[in-house]
Amino acid sequence: KDAEAQELLNRKVSVQIENRNFEDAITIIEKQADVKFTYRSKLLEVPQKVTLNIVNQSLSQVLDKLLRPLKIKYKVVNNQIILSRLITLALPETLPNTLVYSPNDNNIADIGVKGVVSDEKGEGIPGVSVIIKGTTKGTVTGINGDYNLSVPDGNAILVFSFVGYQPKEVTVGNQTTLNVTLATDTKALEEVVVVGYGVQKKKDLTGAVSSINADVFKERKETQVSQALQGAMSGVMVSRSGGNGSMGNASIQIRGVTTIGDSNPLVIVDGVPVSDVNQVNPNDIENLSVLKDAASASIYGSRAAAGVILITTKRAKTDQASFNYSYERGFDTPTQLPDYMGAQRYMELQNELRWNDAGNGANKFPAFSQDLLTDYNQKHQTNPDRYPDTNWMGMTLNNMAQREAHSVSVVGGSKFVKSNASVRYEKIGGFYENKNYNRVFVRSNNDFTINKIVGGTVDFNFKRTNTVDPTADNPLYRTRIAAPIYPALWADGRIADGKAGENVYAKVRYGGTNRYTYNQIGGRIALDLKPIEGLKISGILAPIFDFNDQKRFNKRVDVYAADDPNQFVASLIGGGLTTRLDENRWSNYSLTTQFLANYGKTIGKHDFTALLGYENYYYKSESIGASRDQYLFDTYPYLDQGPTAFRDNYGTAFETAYRSYFGRLTYSFQDRYLIQANIRRDGSSRFNKDYRWGTFPSISAGWVVSEEGFMRNQNLISFLKLRASWGTLGNERIGNYPSVGIMSFNNALFYQNNVAVSQQTAAQVQYAIKDISWEKTSSVDLGLDAYFLKNKLRFTADVYRKETKDMLLALQIPIFVGFENPNQNTGIMTTKGIDLDLGWTSTVGKLRYSASFNLSQFRSEMGDLGGTEFIGDKIRRNGSQFDEWYGYISQGIYQTQEDVNNSPKLSNNVKVGDLKYADISGPNGVPDGKISPEYDRVLLGSSQPQWMYGGNFKLDYRGIDLGITIQGIGYQRTSLLPYTDYNAENFGAFPVYLDGNTWSMNNTEQQNLAAKYPRYTETNRALNRSLSDFWLFNGGYFRLKNVTLGYTIPQSITKRIMANSIRFYVTGTDIFSLNKYPKGWDPEGLGIVSTYIGGFSIGF
Amino acid sequence: CQNSLDLYPLAQPSAEKWYSNETEIQLALNDLYRLEWWQWDEDNTSVNYLSDDGFYRQALTPIKAGTVTSQWDFSTNFWRNGYKAIARANRAIVALNSTETKSKVSQAKLDVYLAEARFHRAAQYAKLVDKFGDVVYSDGVVSIEDAYTIGRTDKKTVITKIYEDFDFAIANLPDAYAATAIKRVTKGVALALKARFALYQQDFTTAAAAAKACIDLNQYTLHPDYGTLFLQSTKNSKEVVFSIPRSLEQKITLGPTSDKITRNSGGFAATNPTWDLFCSYLCTDGKTIDKSPLYDPRNPFKNRDPRCTATIVEFGQPHLGFIYDPHPNAVQVLRLSSNSMVTNNDNRVNAQFASFNGLVWKKGIDDSWLLNGRLIEPEQIIIRYADVLLMYAEAKIELNQIDESVLSAMNAVRARAYKVAASATTLYPVITETNQAELRKLLRIERRMEFANEGLRYMDIVRWKIAGKVLNRPIYGMLDPIDLKAKVVDKGLWFFAGTPTIDEDGTPDFSAMAATGLIKNLVPTAWTDRQYLWPVPTAEIQINPNMKQNAGY
Repeated sequence: KDAEAQELLNRKVSVQIENRNFEDAITIIEKQADVKFTYRSKLLEVPQKVTLNIVNQSLSQVLDKLLRPLKIKYKVVNNQIILSRLITLALPETLPNTLVYSPNDNNIADIGVKGVVSDEKGEGIPGVSVIIKGTTKGTVTGINGDYNLSVPDGNAILVFSFVGYQPKEVTVGNQTTLNVTLATDTKALEEVVVVGYGVQKKKDLTGAVSSINADVFKERKETQVSQALQGAMSGVMVSRSGGNGSMGNASIQIRGVTTIGDSNPLVIVDGVPVSDVNQVNPNDIENLSVLKDAASASIYGSRAAAGVILITTKRAKTDQASFNYSYERGFDTPTQLPDYMGAQRYMELQNELRWNDAGNGANKFPAFSQDLLTDYNQKHQTNPDRYPDTNWMGMTLNNMAQREAHSVSVVGGSKFVKSNASVRYEKIGGFYENKNYNRVFVRSNNDFTINKIVGGTVDFNFKRTNTVDPTADNPLYRTRIAAPIYPALWADGRIADGKAGENVYAKVRYGGTNRYTYNQIGGRIALDLKPIEGLKISGILAPIFDFNDQKRFNKRVDVYAADDPNQFVASLIGGGLTTRLDENRWSNYSLTTQFLANYGKTIGKHDFTALLGYENYYYKSESIGASRDQYLFDTYPYLDQGPTAFRDNYGTAFETAYRSYFGRLTYSFQDRYLIQANIRRDGSSRFNKDYRWGTFPSISAGWVVSEEGFMRNQNLISFLKLRASWGTLGNERIGNYPSVGIMSFNNALFYQNNVAVSQQTAAQVQYAIKDISWEKTSSVDLGLDAYFLKNKLRFTADVYRKETKDMLLALQIPIFVGFENPNQNTGIMTTKGIDLDLGWTSTVGKLRYSASFNLSQFRSEMGDLGGTEFIGDKIRRNGSQFDEWYGYISQGIYQTQEDVNNSPKLSNNVKVGDLKYADISGPNGVPDGKISPEYDRVLLGSSQPQWMYGGNFKLDYRGIDLGITIQGIGYQRTSLLPYTDYNAENFGAFPVYLDGNTWSMNNTEQQNLAAKYPRYTETNRALNRSLSDFWLFNGGYFRLKNVTLGYTIPQSITKRIMANSIRFYVTGTDIFSLNKYPKGWDPEGLGIVSTYIGGFSIGF
Repeated sequence: CQNSLDLYPLAQPSAEKWYSNETEIQLALNDLYRLEWWQWDEDNTSVNYLSDDGFYRQALTPIKAGTVTSQWDFSTNFWRNGYKAIARANRAIVALNSTETKSKVSQAKLDVYLAEARFHRAAQYAKLVDKFGDVVYSDGVVSIEDAYTIGRTDKKTVITKIYEDFDFAIANLPDAYAATAIKRVTKGVALALKARFALYQQDFTTAAAAAKACIDLNQYTLHPDYGTLFLQSTKNSKEVVFSIPRSLEQKITLGPTSDKITRNSGGFAATNPTWDLFCSYLCTDGKTIDKSPLYDPRNPFKNRDPRCTATIVEFGQPHLGFIYDPHPNAVQVLRLSSNSMVTNNDNRVNAQFASFNGLVWKKGIDDSWLLNGRLIEPEQIIIRYADVLLMYAEAKIELNQIDESVLSAMNAVRARAYKVAASATTLYPVITETNQAELRKLLRIERRMEFANEGLRYMDIVRWKIAGKVLNRPIYGMLDPIDLKAKVVDKGLWFFAGTPTIDEDGTPDFSAMAATGLIKNLVPTAWTDRQYLWPVPTAEIQINPNMKQNAGY
């Protein structure tokens, strides 16, 4: 320890400054010596100018020379140099200046007080000054934060202070042990932010970067990192897809849509690109940064158009040793589920629908006879087999899915080796049988320091995920649409045939499983050389291997008649009718190779840093699969056990590569004027040789206004920085071989000797676009970082404009050319948006609290695309917004036959109760008296979310911590169509909320005038349920995203069992939402779950 | 660490280097035989009935509901698949005409390849013209730039081009292949499909000539047993002029089928023959049911043309392991495997969704449909000899060149149904009619009986311009069980409470029966005449100013 401090103090420094602020001098020395100083802002009572002219002297010499005259002392603690005022102004000159008072200097006092000063995490803080108020007497805490002091009497007040923490005063009273916890000071500005290929202080940033640290993941307890980012930062939109509940992935979009292709951000973990953020154990994350603008992201050039997420994982520090274990257990429960009509009402509505379509006069029982309907519920009671009334969702879906997780981490650091190892295991149950998920993460990060010049890191990580699903097709959907009039089980408990074999309940339970296992092994070896002062050269090799397999074993389930267990009725449908095994294996390999050189230099008032880098990436994927069908037994899920007649196999492979050269220069003048330039040149194997290389420059600048003299004499604004940036980014993620017209192989059958034989066939299915190349996005960002009231209030705002050119677009080409729509470099899209972040941190006595809020808005408009792309009910064409709704203008529901007769229609089959549409145009550009999809559909507004927001509130009081997160979307034009579907697949259930709100022949005229939905029909389904403005509503929502309550047992108690900290917590996620969706629908889709977890962690 | 960014597809060849040798060209031609391009209007598992032969409970296709718009996915796919095949044929033709290919492959072989490619192009264009009228025509590879401005070509011009392709194919394709060779298209196939196209386009002279030439090739004979011709076990019959095989072993199959399987055997019995079809079958005296003394509405399967019970399951007969009986009193039915009576789920008293009109399909279906997870492998018949014969007859009738060859063509088809020689005129109702109108009606009935559910009926009613009649009236079925028992069964009127009249096109008219309230209007069809031509897909119109829509849409 002392040796290390000595090493630090022996570092050679050259400093030439003249008449500069003391703080500047410190900063320059920091950079020169690669050390970190910490000190209070009021270290000097009055600003001092200093002049130093030192060439190649040791740091200690420099410090002596600089600090002595200013009456400042220094101390090396944990690799940092702590500066504090020599409280010796009134003391005799003879006192030693390394310590104010010796701990044993108690000859003038008669009460001994001792204790431990610790931080919120319960870790002792060394170096804290403990002063008896009103005197100059005091001491400094030792290595574990312990101190020992004598005070004159019980009235003495002790003042505990340490840089970076808020000072605290405690009256001694009659206590002899006084343990104190110091709260962290707001040091947001000193936060280090991870940027591309390096780190930067937040205050030095010139690009738009948001970052979150480990606390977010500690609090949110989401299984997937992607889900934990929802609402956490401005400009980061996380869209979840239900289905898999908390195990599910979520897509991340940074600053809206930049490209029509793959809009997922590039994810870099410890410098290595990975496929998505969920490859990382949330507990391992030290910091997660999102590079939002081109200036910060362009160092990743080619693949950064959609933004970059940088994740650094936790590493050990010197002189650190700890062991942590945590356990949590909880459950998931669906946030909401829609209700569907029971059997009786289902049949009545079916009759209404059929009557509407058949128009068969007086007989209003066209599908289900009057006799059947009479007393149906009573019939159901006496003979449920014959008269079922099945609640498919209720039977199939569990209310709760259990989950649990264990985490262990071991950290140890010495001067030469620092090691951080963690293991996490988690298991999550499903909403229905045969669905579960479990995952193991192992990570080990190791840093080696060989000598002053040579160091390195060796990291290793392993991830294994197992997912199990029933082979049943889409159980959430099938249970939702399943009509209640079909039986799931016979009265005696045997499986019933449902709808002629379609029995999702039984298929889920007995129909076999589809299992996936994903194994990922990743490694990263880096060698760092520091040959000369300020220069660091690194070579990095990072391979990732994936070994994945799938075993899908569909089991044939036969159903026998209700009254005769020997009478075969049907085999269950959904996933296959035969017992069949599919085994697939695929393996991926990627290798990232990097060479980086970082150099930093301070010359006078000028600070420079430079980065030069080279990166090479190669990816290869290979897969094979085999299957056999018509197994006689469903107990041996191995290929050998199946009949050879029904075997099949396949295999394929692909590879991609790219190579990059990049560099960065930063320059800062007096920490006041900041400028940064990046350039990256990328070559991609996806493109033809002549169109392969792209160059992506960027430049950004910052002006720290608060450093200017005119800002000195005010207390309101503590920090103010203006930022501006411009840069270009690229995108190339458009399939693997877009410039090559690939021959697609198939098989056709011919007769030969009267037997069908297979012949291989080949066809080109896509145009080869030889000149296809990079999609380029240029973006301009103007930003403001402002901190007020001694950094209590933080405000960051960014406005940006992104323009994507040569957009890779699968434009609709004329169908008659006979090829698939190819990706082409065509089209322009402009996205404008703003990101706002606001935060407040403060303390009231022992209560520490903080609140933050973020808001983002963007609008993406399509420029000249050179064509049109149709995406279902949405469109992309010149002048439209990105994925703008495209459909008819509705004029309400037809109420009279006369109106029907006299109106333009889509077809002659339009009837009263159907939707009426406006005749917008025709082939000659004027209304043609007909409604047609070609001429009468118009743009109906953006489908993208508007005004996305998130907020977080935290509170800390005497070991109790509370966190609340909210998240939402202010406005989003959303289609009601998926939520108002009925009679799906011509038999499906009817949602409860349609009843009474639908136009009906049984209604009064008044009721029909008030009807919210057109009549039930199958024949005119497409007509009424085409997209029109009739179906659009505000799908915005507010969600109480997370509430976490924790309690940390005071260290005085935990010490007794040698534990450093023990924390218990409960957390709830997705607790409730406010929205305008029809009842039972979560705004983010079916299958979104509320999660409730309780857990504890213990650290030694 | 690898060093190159020049990565080419590992698992698939690049098109740039393709089409450079004979094998590669053969593979490209093979692609034209894929089933995707040869789907017919209604196939054996189709639930999308376009014609009046079948129905799916109370659901209607947009054609039958009259709700076709340019967004109808069926016509969009029809258009897309047709043009995909054409683009591939054109690509192959360009390659075959290249000097490189000519230097490598002998002219004789080249001509056959070219004939094959041109046959496929002609056949696909023919399908498109039949449905859309004027189409976009190109005989080369269209560049994307050009494609945005190409409009539709007048049908007359396209027809000429199609004939040219067919004629080249006819001139250069072989009559037949040796049994040991891969059976590809032949002269006969080109002739037969040319005849079909000509007939659909009302070019009766060309149709008659092509059909005659096909007959004169003497390559084809009628399958001896009408009933077995369509079973999945029947492969490559001498009657089949052109088909695409299916094979369980080769993994090109249909299914899983359930819609046509009866409910007693675990199926849905959801797609069924219409009464319209059922009542169109003649009686064994050659007369329509409204005229024949042999017809008994109480026992409607009796004394009918054999193709009736080969197509529709006769009540009380074994089918898929059970006795089939939709009679509301037959609450139990015999299961053949155990010889025991079990609950009859093909009866609406027990099963709400048993056949709504009592009828279920038989044609092509046997017990083997229940095996293999209900995957089946019937060959996709594109055209068979009986069609050639009846097309010949029809063309000649329309030309009013009614002669012995016309009657013998029709009688050959009918005699086969009765499994007798055409010369055994006492054993089947031989056709002797020579009046054009009468013979036309007989021919139309003959076609309907012969080709039920083979995907041909839709184009028949379209070219005969009777869709406006037959697809503009209700689909009928039985009353619901309680009513049925009270009003029909208990009154002794089972199965048919009346007999429809058969009109001049051979189609039954149930309106009088419907008025009695003894049958049920399941769902009305509502054809509109704009549907005689299908709409060009929306996207084509919206991205290309020169692309015009068909009238009425």
